[in-house]
Amino acid sequence: MNMSAVGAIYRFEMMRFFRTLMQSFLSPVLSTSLYFVVFGAAIGSRIEEVEGVSYGAFIVPGLVMLSVITQAISNAAFGIYFPKFTGTIYELLSAPVNFLEIVMGFVGAAATKALFIGVVILLTASFFVDLSIQHPVAMVLFLLLTCLSFALLGFIVGIWAGNFEQLQLVPLLIVTPLIFLGGSFYSISMLPPVWQTITLFNPVVYLISGFRWSFFGTADVPVALSLLAIAGFTLLCLGLIWWIFKTGWRIRS
Amino acid sequence: MSAILSIRDLQKTYAGGFEALKGVSLDIEEGEILALLGPNGAGKTTLISTVCGITTPSGGSVTVGGYDIITEFRGARSLIGLVPQEVNLQPFETVLNTVRFSRGLFGRPRDDAHIEKVLRTLSLWDKKDNQITTLSGGMKRRVLIAKALSHEPRVLFLDEPTAGVDVDLRKDMWDTVADLKADGVTIILTTHYIEEAEAIADRVGVITRGELLLVEEKKALMARMGRKQLEVQLNERLDSIPAGLAHLDLELAETGDALVYSYDIHAPRTGITGLLNGIAEAGLTLRDLQTRQSSLEEIFVDLVKGDAS
Ligand SMILES: Nc1ncnc2c1ncn2[C@@H]1O[C@H](COP(=O)(O)OP(=O)(O)OP(=O)(O)O)[C@@H](O)[C@H]1O
Ligand SMILES: [Mg+2]
Repeated sequence: MNMSAVGAIYRFEMMRFFRTLMQSFLSPVLSTSLYFVVFGAAIGSRIEEVEGVSYGAFIVPGLVMLSVITQAISNAAFGIYFPKFTGTIYELLSAPVNFLEIVMGFVGAAATKALFIGVVILLTASFFVDLSIQHPVAMVLFLLLTCLSFALLGFIVGIWAGNFEQLQLVPLLIVTPLIFLGGSFYSISMLPPVWQTITLFNPVVYLISGFRWSFFGTADVPVALSLLAIAGFTLLCLGLIWWIFKTGWRIRS
Repeated sequence: MSAILSIRDLQKTYAGGFEALKGVSLDIEEGEILALLGPNGAGKTTLISTVCGITTPSGGSVTVGGYDIITEFRGARSLIGLVPQEVNLQPFETVLNTVRFSRGLFGRPRDDAHIEKVLRTLSLWDKKDNQITTLSGGMKRRVLIAKALSHEPRVLFLDEPTAGVDVDLRKDMWDTVADLKADGVTIILTTHYIEEAEAIADRVGVITRGELLLVEEKKALMARMGRKQLEVQLNERLDSIPAGLAHLDLELAETGDALVYSYDIHAPRTGITGLLNGIAEAGLTLRDLQTRQSSLEEIFVDLVKGDAS
């Protein structure tokens, strides 16, 4: 294991993050505050409680997931796309590193950034609502797994993307709708039965449900199923990346 | 001496079906400098990229320091430094960060003294905190070299290292190459400047259309392929070549007072005696004689032309 290489990639990626720390910090604070003004105050005043939790608190896990997932994807995608774009990927390809080490460096950095944003949002949210976390260990586990698995997905997007538009495409066209339709701002049980069934095909549902359970102890789907879903998703992404490096798809001619 | 780089029947067919390498075999001794010459599109970069792991070979095998580049890629790649032809750098990073990154990526422990030495040798120390975007083209190329040297490679590939570099700096770079050679580093470089190969290489390889035409000691190549010219300076001025000498490969100098005779030094008869006799019979008198050997460039142009016909 070339841990020196993993560290080098990780540090290099984190340096870019630190250079723009203010932006990285301010934008989630701002957007979270806006969500609370719109959803918490305006809409929340009409919806009393969801499953025994005030609406303002109910949307917090969904809000965190929304940002963590989009940040993990876009950071990892950009991280690996940029060397492809500038041509510096030659160095990664000619270095004594295997796919796992490259992934650990890039995905580790992207997951760290997403985690940072997630924590910032949680802290911001705690200014607006009373937050109690019933299962803190599970909460941390879900958060970490989400950062990791979606950073893996982002890495794949970055390798697949042929231009900057495509880099935005997957997060915008696929992931954001899935998150919004995944019960970020409502409980699945509030939907008509047909839609409840359809929703179960949305992988994000399992994530948000499990994450919300760790806060309030109530879930749309069994917690074990949530964990299984996200673990399965992580493995799927890892398998795909392994295949990409084995075949050199889109990176090695 | 043992071969540190051994290439056997290396083939590369790109996805589109283009055959860029058609079975190249080459052994490179430890500590030597090999210059690869060849016209645009000959396959020089493809050869280097394949050895370095940037493109996957379609056939054949390569070992570096005894390590197979596929099955023992870690061992092989740890020995290699690569300076690519394209100036590929991340624009917003600083010089020092990019160079440090390269060292870490190749699994070397942090060594600020070594990095400083490399940057100083390449006259980049003043610029170490500059963003890459603020550097000139020649400086960027030197950053690429610094990156490759940061991890102390035993085999260094330089793909057109002096393209776009001014004359002074080119000489500096030749000195750097000579220093590396003195440290025992094996160097493979490609270039379109033949005088560069002539100045620094031990051996010269010529590639055209994916095939290695020849690899030879530079001196042997020049001696073997070399044509010589004999310039005969006369006391008289001529308007045309005298009839008695018309059958020889002669040219009349513009000034009219010299004849230039081209001959092959390896031919059984060079024809020099005949030429001198002919000159005497034409009633001309000699003022001076001078011979000149053709440069590598002329040899190279001849070779590639010969291959095309
Ligand atoms: N990724 C690729 N896909 C398809 N063909 C390629 C690819 N890269 C190079 N080639 C082709 O392979 C041939 C050899 O290219 P290569 O870059 O090795 O030439 P070169 O000798 O380095 O030339 P130059 O002196 O211009 O740098 C060219 O015909 C080129 O078009
Ligand atoms: Mg080239």
